Amino acid sequence: MTQTWVVEPAHWSAKTQATLYGAASLLGLLFLWIAATSIFGWIDPRVLPSPFEIALRFADLLVDPFGGATLLGHVLGSLKRWGLGVVTAAILGVPVGVLFAWAPLFRAVVNPVFEILRYIPPFAWVPIAILWFGASTMTQAMVVFIAAFPAIVINSQLGVQQVEKILLDAARVYGAGSLRTLRRVVMPVAAPTIYTGIRIAVSNGWMALVGAELIVGKNGLGFLISQGQNNDSVSTIFVGIISIGILGLLIDTIVQRSEKILLPWRGRLDQAGGI
Amino acid sequence: MRRSMVSRAFLISLVAGVGWVLLWAWLTRAGGPVPKLFFPSPEEVFDRFLKMWTRPYLGSTLLGHISSSLSIVLAGWVLAGIVGVPLGIAMAWWRKLKWIAFPVFQLIRPVPPLAWIPLTLVWMGIGDAARITVVFIAALVPWMMNSMQSVYSVDKLLIDAGRTLGANDRQILSRVVCRTALPTLVAGARIALGNAWTTLIAAELLAATAGLGYVALNASRMLDTDVLLVAMLLIGILGALLSIMMQLATRFLAPWSIRQSRGQ
Amino acid sequence: MELRNITKRFGNENDGVLAVDDCTIEVQKGEFICVVGPSGCGKSTLLTVAAGLERPTRGEVVVEGKPAGPPGPKRCVVFQKFALFPSETVAQNIKFGLQMARVDVVEQERLLREQLEIMGLEQFRNAYPSELSGGMQQRVAIARALVMRPDILLMDEPFGALDAQTRTILQEEIQRLHREQQYTVMFITHSVEEAVYLGDRVIVMTRRPGRIKEEIVLSRDAAWKQGDIEAAAEHSDFIEARRKIWALVREEIVAR
Repeated sequence: MTQTWVVEPAHWSAKTQATLYGAASLLGLLFLWIAATSIFGWIDPRVLPSPFEIALRFADLLVDPFGGATLLGHVLGSLKRWGLGVVTAAILGVPVGVLFAWAPLFRAVVNPVFEILRYIPPFAWVPIAILWFGASTMTQAMVVFIAAFPAIVINSQLGVQQVEKILLDAARVYGAGSLRTLRRVVMPVAAPTIYTGIRIAVSNGWMALVGAELIVGKNGLGFLISQGQNNDSVSTIFVGIISIGILGLLIDTIVQRSEKILLPWRGRLDQAGGI
Repeated sequence: MRRSMVSRAFLISLVAGVGWVLLWAWLTRAGGPVPKLFFPSPEEVFDRFLKMWTRPYLGSTLLGHISSSLSIVLAGWVLAGIVGVPLGIAMAWWRKLKWIAFPVFQLIRPVPPLAWIPLTLVWMGIGDAARITVVFIAALVPWMMNSMQSVYSVDKLLIDAGRTLGANDRQILSRVVCRTALPTLVAGARIALGNAWTTLIAAELLAATAGLGYVALNASRMLDTDVLLVAMLLIGILGALLSIMMQLATRFLAPWSIRQSRGQ
Repeated sequence: MELRNITKRFGNENDGVLAVDDCTIEVQKGEFICVVGPSGCGKSTLLTVAAGLERPTRGEVVVEGKPAGPPGPKRCVVFQKFALFPSETVAQNIKFGLQMARVDVVEQERLLREQLEIMGLEQFRNAYPSELSGGMQQRVAIARALVMRPDILLMDEPFGALDAQTRTILQEEIQRLHREQQYTVMFITHSVEEAVYLGDRVIVMTRRPGRIKEEIVLSRDAAWKQGDIEAAAEHSDFIEARRKIWALVREEIVAR
């Protein structure tokens, strides 16, 4: 009597495999890092501290102030400045972008200024902001604003432009004037694109903020990093970098998720009738 | 009808542009509401621009600073391309490589390139290398992502179509694959250059001894607002020029990818 | 309503497109007229001019003796692509015109409910357009137009985007509605069969630039209008009319 044992190799889906490889690679890098610093001492801890040191420093900063505030203090400071710049950019940017698409005359007049400002990178505004506001919150908020504004304007304009002409015709036929068409028909249909613009702007703003704080600031994650540099504390620099990365990811995820709450009809727009 | 509408808008923009400059001149006139320390007048800016061509400011003439900035940005950008394109293509070609390398990039991406400056300063000191590194980091991600995407964008269907029409492997590679992949690649180059320029200026604000950003920062410290404006405007103009250059390159290399935008 | 000597040219004098050339059409109250013609003959353009969405290069649109003016709910349009507002529910879509006209809220609700019943849409009140089938969406579009009690209903190939079965059902419904309510309708289509089935009068247009080729008057109480289009195809008068009109259209299609 023969029994054939058929052994099926584990058939993992591509997605699981990808996750496994990814995790393995990251863990491998982590081990390499630990090995190179703590265990074998291949790398000078002043150049690249071990992960343990960084973790310790992280815990340290949560309690002990450095550069004027604890880690939380710096985080909150950064968020405050970033929030100020981004909210202002949204409040100003959406109407400007919508008007750009809705009122061609307005666009023709304002365009020269907008185009020039657009091509000057946000950081190039730092010197002049320092001149005007000194090393204060306004300086950094202004840089964030400049970083966030163009994305919002451009996407708002695009969103309005992309509204199908037939919907505008229908609104006209049923008696809606220009303003009411804008409010009830155009804005809801343009909203997802506008939101994408806000998402991009939020992210750009965060990147710009950190840079601004690096260059001139007395508080915040960017400032923390520069303090680390001044005091030759590379572990502080790393704590700063990691915090920036984590917060950046968090912000983007939150903005992405909240779209479902704020714009519930988005999914429906993608299958809107007949178009 | 379309054509006349577009040129009409352009004309209005032109007139408006002149209007804005006139407004600027009027607001900043001698004895006017805006003092020179706050914002210089157009004539002062233009004056200073001409002077800076011949008389050195902070160590170099205008040309010297421009070439410093441009050389670093191009060095970092080209390096990122040399590394990023093969890497991206390899990652698209071999799934396993992507699974291994991609998470690392995802981890690095949220960190603004500028934040790496203090680290590079500690590691390399205040030389050109630090700035080139940061520009490199800024440009690497777009180069890589778009190279990867460009390989994905080649529809297998097109390759099959080529085969049935009798093309051999080499012809398929050059005529089908490369051509289909080119637009995305060039787009990646464009984005990378934009990132690179932005990051460079920031890097010059922190760790430089020459360049337009360096000039701007020090001009602001020394309250030379006219120099500051010259630097800022040049930064913008050079950024625009680089962008236009890339647009021309796109038109030259991949003209079929340029889509007509609706009515503008 | 009268369309007098309508000429519409797109673009400038030299390189524009002449879509419609000197067309005159008269629609009496309660009439259902159908306009047919080969593709691209300008019949849709004629409708957009009638609605006021485009201004004629020459000629004028007159309603009850007075110039028609800008587009509005008196000349409601039902589009081929439905044109429902995607971010609004069925009820909101139908009430749209009423809200623009600032009709009293209670009255809005009453009219809405009436229309939902007529079109059989009661259970879909709170659905979004993307959740409905093509036939349902067009029903909503028709309801949206009818609730405004327009002087004339303009329909631009309204069933062109629907599958054949839905089309047949809706044709019958439009027929029934017209019989019961006596709306004035101007209906554009490329289907000769549809035109004969629905219309009291069929207007045939030439190919571009579109001119009026011929007008065929059909009997208002023709026997075939009682059933659906399948049944109608068995009446000899229907077949005769269809053949005649199709011959006219065909002439235009193959003409040089």
